[in-house]
Amino acid sequence: MTDAAPFTANGHALPGLAPGEEPVIALRNVAKWYGEVVAVSDVSFGIGPGVTGLLGPNGAGKSTILNLMAGLLAPSAGTVRILDRPVRGNPAIYREIGFASEHEQLYPSLRGREFVRLNAILQKVADPDAATERAIDLVDMQEAAGRALRGYSKGMRQRIKVAAALVHDPRVLLLDEPLNGTDPVQRASLTALMRRLGEAGKTVVVSSHVLSEVERFAHNILVIVNGKLAAAGDYRAIRERMDTRDHIVRIRCSDPRRLAAALVAEPVTTSVRMTGDGRMIVETPDARGFGLLLPEVARREGIRLYELQPVDESLASVFSYLVGK
Amino acid sequence: MQTAWTLLPVTTLALRQFTGGRTARLVLLLSCLPALFAAIYAFRPSGIAPGEFLDGLFRELIVPTLAPIVVLLPATGAFGDELEDGTLPYLLMKPVSRLRLILGKFLAVLLVTIPSLLIGLALTTLIASRAPGSADLGALLLAMGAAAAMLAVLLAAVFLLVSLVIPRALLAGMVYVFAWESLLGRFLPGVRAISSREHALQIFDGILAGDAALATNAAVAMAVAAVVALALAVWRLRSMQVE
Repeated sequence: MTDAAPFTANGHALPGLAPGEEPVIALRNVAKWYGEVVAVSDVSFGIGPGVTGLLGPNGAGKSTILNLMAGLLAPSAGTVRILDRPVRGNPAIYREIGFASEHEQLYPSLRGREFVRLNAILQKVADPDAATERAIDLVDMQEAAGRALRGYSKGMRQRIKVAAALVHDPRVLLLDEPLNGTDPVQRASLTALMRRLGEAGKTVVVSSHVLSEVERFAHNILVIVNGKLAAAGDYRAIRERMDTRDHIVRIRCSDPRRLAAALVAEPVTTSVRMTGDGRMIVETPDARGFGLLLPEVARREGIRLYELQPVDESLASVFSYLVGK
Repeated sequence: MQTAWTLLPVTTLALRQFTGGRTARLVLLLSCLPALFAAIYAFRPSGIAPGEFLDGLFRELIVPTLAPIVVLLPATGAFGDELEDGTLPYLLMKPVSRLRLILGKFLAVLLVTIPSLLIGLALTTLIASRAPGSADLGALLLAMGAAAAMLAVLLAAVFLLVSLVIPRALLAGMVYVFAWESLLGRFLPGVRAISSREHALQIFDGILAGDAALATNAAVAMAVAAVVALALAVWRLRSMQVE
């Protein structure tokens, strides 16, 4: 078995890859620990061309995994390879990799254009000026590129970091929470850019802790929870797995006991319990069906609904569910 | 400026960081501090000849304390600041050898410290020469300049290394300057033999006395120590983990 093969060290297929697909990025049995603290535990996956979302709650280990991919951290165990080459201790591979870290801080005394151009020069791009303007155009930063970085908003910093990561037209792009701090317009623009890069055959890895955000640009996702790979593969398939769990909904209404009695008789309701503060908690396997049924039951029973709130839609609960599987 | 970025991007970046913040101003200010003492000396006659005054100032203040602090500020900040604020990956994740990164930063530290030290020494000598009994101070200025420049070369390499090994490099450097160079280096013969102060003063004395061997041997020892420190810094940069 070669290092390029889509298998783990144990001969298992690398999660995250389509059957027969060769990995551009391959992590095999990777672990990272700091003394007694385990940040990443026996993670194996492969990433092919296109946009891949690295999804997980804050503190799950996404940044550690990105830093391992970037060669900034050495794995305590396992191997990390990009384009079938080791990353750590191999500066030449950075011609093929663009990276935007999660850190907000940039060189405050530089102007945006100077920062991008510096990256082009360090990447030994043939025409740094042209590459700089092209990268700045891609992130819609022409107007602000002449300003000092110290005056940039968080969203502008994110975009100029992406421009710097793109300036040498890398095959692999690693972006750590690039949408953090961006406004809706900037987010839409960056999302569209990531999609275009993926369609152009680039391998783009984007970390995020916002499920709905990842959905917009990545079909393929890797879900990281507590330093472990909880799920890998097509976004919709994973979403479906998430959707098959029971949803929990909190309801406040004019007559909770009567509504509870009516709902408990319905097949879409798994359980109903009163919370003691005039509210009730309902579990249902079919959130959509329950959403349609509830107003109908309330109307039939003459009950007024004041509040309807899903209480388990946080990522943590979704991921806990995935890990529990 | 565009050419500087193209030819020496790492050095130019570090220089922009030094000049964009307070480091370069502080370095120049500290380097010119002896000129203040020279002004007090020149305008309040004390019977001490200018050559004797400058010799004492150089041996007792500039070499053991002031010059090391002048070098310490940019040398520990060159990598230390980037480690602290998370910008180091922008340099590390480039197809650039670690040796070039270290040498680029090293050159930037020298470009900001050596001219400042030389300006400070020249200004101090010029002001002191106003005092009565002034002889030709050219040879003294040359000896001070050469010794200070060599001291900057050695300490820049050492402090760059320290900043890659110790998180609070500035504090560690201050302790080194005040405890080792300024205090212990004066009194303990063993410490004196391996202090940068002693070697810098050998260059100074060798040039003034026309003893080329003394000056050359000291300069070579300092250069070798600087090369070793730079080699260790390259090794450290290769093996260090950055988040």
